[in-house]
Amino acid sequence: MGYVAKRFLQMIFVLWTVATILFFMFRLMPGTPLAAFIDNTTTAEQQDALIAQFGLDKSLGEQYFLFLWNLLQGDLGQSFFFKKPVLEVVWQVFPNSVILTLTSLIIAYLFGIVVGAYLAWKRGSWVEGVGIPLVLTTRAAPEFWLGMVLLAFFSFHLGWFPSGGANTSGSEWQSGWSRLTSADFLSHLALPAITLAIYLQGLPLLLMRSNMLNVLQEEFITMARMKGLSTWTIVMRHAARNALLPVATAFALGIGGAVGGNVVVETVFSWPGIGRLLVNAVSASDYPLAQGAFLMITFVLVVMNFIADITYHLLDPRVRVAANG
Amino acid sequence: MQRTDDIRLPRHGRTALAGIARALRGVWEIPRRDPFAAAGVILYLLFILVALFADHLVTHDPREILFDENYDLARNLLPSADHYLGTTYSGRDIYSQLVMGTRGALIVGLTAAISVVTIGTVIGLIAGFFGGWVDTLLMRLADVALGVPFLPFVIVLAAMMEPSQWNVVLGIALLLWPQSARVIRAQVMSLRERAFVEAARVTGAGPWRILFVHIAPNVLALSFLYASIAVGWAILTEAAISFLGFGPSNTVTWGYMLQDAYASQALGREQYYWFVPPGLCIIAVVVAGFFISRGYEEILFPKLRD
Amino acid sequence: MQLTKRGLLRTALSTAAAVALVGADARIAQAEAGDAIRPLTLISRAQAANPQQYQAAELIAQAWRQLGLEIEVQGLPRPQQSDAVWYNRDTWDLTMWQMVGRPERSDPDEFVYNLFHSTTMEKGYNFVGYVNPEYDKIAEQQRLITNKDERKVLIDQAQDIIDRDQVYAFLVHPMKVYAFDSSVWAADSMVEQPGLGIKNFWTFVGAEPVGDTKDMILNSSDELNAINPFYISGATDSWITELIWDRMMRIGSDGLPKPWAAESVEWSDDGTEVTLTLREGMMWHDGEPVTTDDVIFSFTAPAEGTNAPMYKPFVSNIAGIEATDDRTVVMTLNEPNAAFETSTLAKLNLVPEHVWAPLLENLTEGETAEAVLEESRIGSGPFKFDRWVTQQEVVLSANADHWSAPKMDRWILRIVLNVEAALGMLRSGEVNFMSDYTGDPELLLQAAEEDGDLEVVQSVDIGFQYLAFNLRRPPFDDAAFRRALSAAINRDLIQKAAWNGFAVKANSHVSPALEFWHKAGIADGLQTGMDLAKSILDEAGYEMVDGRLHYPAGGTEQFAD
Repeated sequence: MGYVAKRFLQMIFVLWTVATILFFMFRLMPGTPLAAFIDNTTTAEQQDALIAQFGLDKSLGEQYFLFLWNLLQGDLGQSFFFKKPVLEVVWQVFPNSVILTLTSLIIAYLFGIVVGAYLAWKRGSWVEGVGIPLVLTTRAAPEFWLGMVLLAFFSFHLGWFPSGGANTSGSEWQSGWSRLTSADFLSHLALPAITLAIYLQGLPLLLMRSNMLNVLQEEFITMARMKGLSTWTIVMRHAARNALLPVATAFALGIGGAVGGNVVVETVFSWPGIGRLLVNAVSASDYPLAQGAFLMITFVLVVMNFIADITYHLLDPRVRVAANG
Repeated sequence: MQRTDDIRLPRHGRTALAGIARALRGVWEIPRRDPFAAAGVILYLLFILVALFADHLVTHDPREILFDENYDLARNLLPSADHYLGTTYSGRDIYSQLVMGTRGALIVGLTAAISVVTIGTVIGLIAGFFGGWVDTLLMRLADVALGVPFLPFVIVLAAMMEPSQWNVVLGIALLLWPQSARVIRAQVMSLRERAFVEAARVTGAGPWRILFVHIAPNVLALSFLYASIAVGWAILTEAAISFLGFGPSNTVTWGYMLQDAYASQALGREQYYWFVPPGLCIIAVVVAGFFISRGYEEILFPKLRD
Repeated sequence: MQLTKRGLLRTALSTAAAVALVGADARIAQAEAGDAIRPLTLISRAQAANPQQYQAAELIAQAWRQLGLEIEVQGLPRPQQSDAVWYNRDTWDLTMWQMVGRPERSDPDEFVYNLFHSTTMEKGYNFVGYVNPEYDKIAEQQRLITNKDERKVLIDQAQDIIDRDQVYAFLVHPMKVYAFDSSVWAADSMVEQPGLGIKNFWTFVGAEPVGDTKDMILNSSDELNAINPFYISGATDSWITELIWDRMMRIGSDGLPKPWAAESVEWSDDGTEVTLTLREGMMWHDGEPVTTDDVIFSFTAPAEGTNAPMYKPFVSNIAGIEATDDRTVVMTLNEPNAAFETSTLAKLNLVPEHVWAPLLENLTEGETAEAVLEESRIGSGPFKFDRWVTQQEVVLSANADHWSAPKMDRWILRIVLNVEAALGMLRSGEVNFMSDYTGDPELLLQAAEEDGDLEVVQSVDIGFQYLAFNLRRPPFDDAAFRRALSAAINRDLIQKAAWNGFAVKANSHVSPALEFWHKAGIADGLQTGMDLAKSILDEAGYEMVDGRLHYPAGGTEQFAD
């Protein structure tokens, strides 16, 4: 328990530091935050009014404490552009990002685990000789490029999938759930999820394979073999189970990394997600929104890092022994 | 990671030289043992040669707007003897951009790799060797760096500073050092208890000397391993940032080319000769880094693999 | 000896009194060139954001280098470009810029007055810093003259002055290119409005579905910021507010204002009093009747305090407004204004008082209605607001009770940031009216040819693309220098190589789309050519020394870094 509490405090510390860095980064950047209002015929007085409205006339220290205080209450401020609470804007697109991330991670990890185990079993064969470089190549391909090529071929050329977005325009739904399970949504989800999955599968695959190689050499496997258990049973029941833990940890870390890292894929497929929201907010100088989206992504990342560490700590016997000893 | 070269202490430098020699020997030995690593090294050399001689290899200035004999814009030309890969929608020579892009990619990749690994190595060395509050401070710093979402951070940096490829290098240097620092720190912690360090201490070597002369060479191999992966990371990140439109307009990189192709609707025009080559080049460089690092890992840390 | 003379001249120049001396003894000065002109930076939107503009900037830079100028193109994101050009007006030299077309810009007043009148120099649209009392006078006068032909003479003069002074190097009026699926929408129900093309109010109200699809699905390449009757945040939301909220008048498909929510609009002879009769039986979307109180509220609320800074300038001319019976409103003006119908009656949204009055009362000091998020978005227009999903879509549905009820069921605006995806959607039918196309027009034409049902419609934009000189900083304060630089730009090339032929050459702030107001032949009348440019520079005393252009004798470089 001591470890969990310590790790929790550390997480809070990281969140606070990142929030602070972010706050000062946006405030100390050159240029006026109101530059985005250029197209309008705003007068000097109106600009002052706007500055007051967003609290930009207060001292930096004052603004900082106000920012932290609001943050503690879950208030991320008001978007310059949407004139809405940042949290509300972020919340509208956040689920889309989570769904895209989870779907692609699940596909990637299922594929990675099975193929990784298989490649470990086939160690030294030509399958491995071809498979490993191939996997490395998929990890080296820029996601957006992969997305471009898939989009050009499957959507523009063959017309199998929609050209972008998360839903057919104007579709009506009974509930959020019926939207997410509709064929329409799934057909929009398919290409971006596959693109991401192709990129993501390399890590679980390689992890699974090297863990399997480790486990397969351990004594209890030899024992099982001597007991006359079938190859498949050995692999699945004994080896895989022991090799899975690091992969599961990587999964949690993957969620944290991918929610923010999806931004290019969201752009290629016009997917209404938080990464794209961040890019738009940044290009429009909507600092409160950019800050809010960034913090949300950070929050997921840090919490997932925390969960991964805790899981590993609690489930891995070796770590536990080491910690106790 | 080349830092130890600068620290010239010949009398006590044997271990240092030995470490460097070991690291370098790895570089030569890998290709002989691992065909993929060999392929990686050859690819790297090829790209480095192209980058060095880019000025002689290009057929046009990659940023010059070209015209045909009627003074019409030479746009969307098919590959030909004049333009090996055709021209872009805005009338630039694609082949020349691809060649010049090699230079941009390698500059970003190598500087990012060198800076991130230097930072990571130095921090890892100091944290692991001195321990105590120094270690705690540096490792909390690492936690923070790991808690900042990487790509979003680089996007914000790129959007707020003058558009330049150094934003990517800066972002990588600021955020990605903890990976190498942590591993190196662990290595140093075990090394500092070893006999040869004790021997140095007894002969009166100061802590900094012990650290940089006796210990550092032994972690060089690890640094090299992380550097070869960081090159790929940097190139991919630069491409993503350029693709999102936050790159500089006046520097040709592969990411810039892909962004230009995407925005100019090369997909709709089916100009494969435009948007496929930069993608393949990125893959080739990054994969080369992976291959080399894997080969390196296998030779230097055989236990990790079996 | 030479050195001394030059040194003396410089010292002399630094005192204002000596300026006359230089003029008097021009022959001495001519013997020697002034300082070399500093290296210049031409700001543009980044290549990724606006490829046409960036390409034009590169072409211009290539041409100007032949004149002996050192010139670098710098692609910047919009906030950074605005920060330099708009908020730090004495820091930049050259920038690419654009003015976009809007329905209320169908009257030349907005461009003629705002762009070059000296009062807008500090904070407003005259960001280049043009000061010309002669021009100011014309810009002011044309507002007061209600006779069209008399006013036309002044508008022509305004165009001539700007042509003579080359305050901007005008480049092109881009073509607006739109497309629709004629198997979904009857081609003859599309209305083309000069300067705006088929994407306009009249098309949306009149479009007739051919088959079973009765939803119009449009695209926008910009993210939407607001839907608010007191605020225009960008081009996209202004099409939406037009549909939800009625206005007393509307800009017709001929570009002229015509009565809309007002049944009739009658002017007094001196042009300072206008009587508006409200249409009978108008209803808000929530079922409440539209009253004269609502009309009065719509024109008075923006004038109060900081309620609606965007609209305040357009109602400042209203001296009084009152209802004479339950359908008639009389407005009195401070002075006659030729553009009042276009810029006020056809611009201000009719807003329900029962929804907005309580909200505006709650505003604190300095707050604007722009900050109010009113989510019911009740208006009285031909479309009702259904929903707006961030980054995805805006859905409006037809108001069947409206006197001019649309024939479609729903109007759906889809946000698609990438051109290629938008084109893909048009081909696959995911979009059936392409209302925002920034890509290569040839590809769109090609897609239309392959498809058979797609129809592409192009028309000249009211807006224009140009290069702005900063007149605050020499040598750009010299009209001859600007004329020479402008003459060195080959517009035919820009039109072809940057806009792929889908643009017409420009040399005036009044678009040829406004056929009546545009001074015919002004674009072709502009003499250009590299030789001409060189001879203008030569005549004005600029000299080429070792391949670098130098100021005329005595000219010093005050802005070198």
